[in-house]
Amino acid sequence: MPEVGILVKTAEEREKLFIALYKSAFPAVARYISKMGGSFDEAKDIFQDALVIFYEKAVTNTSLIKTNEKAYLLGISKHLWLNKFKDNNLHTSIDGMDIIIGDDEEQPSESRLMHFLETAGKKCMDLLRSFYYDQLPLADAARLFGFSGVRSATVQKYKCLEKVRETIKERSLTYEDFLN
Amino acid sequence: MRTSLIETEQIEAHLLQLTAPGDALVFEARLLLDNDLQEKLQWQNETYNIVKIYSRNQLKKEIETIHQSLFNDAKHKSFSQKIRQLFSKR
Repeated sequence: MPEVGILVKTAEEREKLFIALYKSAFPAVARYISKMGGSFDEAKDIFQDALVIFYEKAVTNTSLIKTNEKAYLLGISKHLWLNKFKDNNLHTSIDGMDIIIGDDEEQPSESRLMHFLETAGKKCMDLLRSFYYDQLPLADAARLFGFSGVRSATVQKYKCLEKVRETIKERSLTYEDFLN
Repeated sequence: MRTSLIETEQIEAHLLQLTAPGDALVFEARLLLDNDLQEKLQWQNETYNIVKIYSRNQLKKEIETIHQSLFNDAKHKSFSQKIRQLFSKR
């Protein structure tokens, strides 16, 4: 069982963490989804969403998940599974209130922007990911991206932020319905 | 740092509510008077949202690669069989 609360600094460390979590927690999740009449693919989707939620919680508040990762992941998965049914029922209800909770669905114009950022802006986006999403301390990010120190990593972070901000602005004004 | 980067840093501090109370007032006053700064703040806020979506997409891709490896590589055969059996009995 991996010790969560540790800092996950590199893609390799993340891979190790997720393999360990898959092996320890997926059997129980799959058993639950199967018992509830779900398919292998549904179990996979639910578990992968649970892993994303787990990761986001673990990097922002390491003290939150100190107990048992397996129980935590099973709990999130059950919650997601039950929500899925609630959502399905909502789709068929007469008031038709389709509320997607906690889901960042991309709009078509946003996908085009994302595709651009994934290709032309990848270097900056990966750097920004490590700061804002993976919550890597500046010194670790500096080492990981080969900067001479915290100072130059900080400068690069703001350069990237500025560059991406301008790209989003330009592209969004081109994709006219971006913010609608 | 060049002036524009310092401004980007200040916008970040404002959005993430890291600015000291006195400085926050000064910044808010500047925002009221400077449309350009207001616009930058709006787009920078959008940038953090986009970075989050991008990062989440990348993480999902990493997890999917791991899934494929666990269910297709011979070295994880006993694990994948154990899982698949759960769905083959029905």
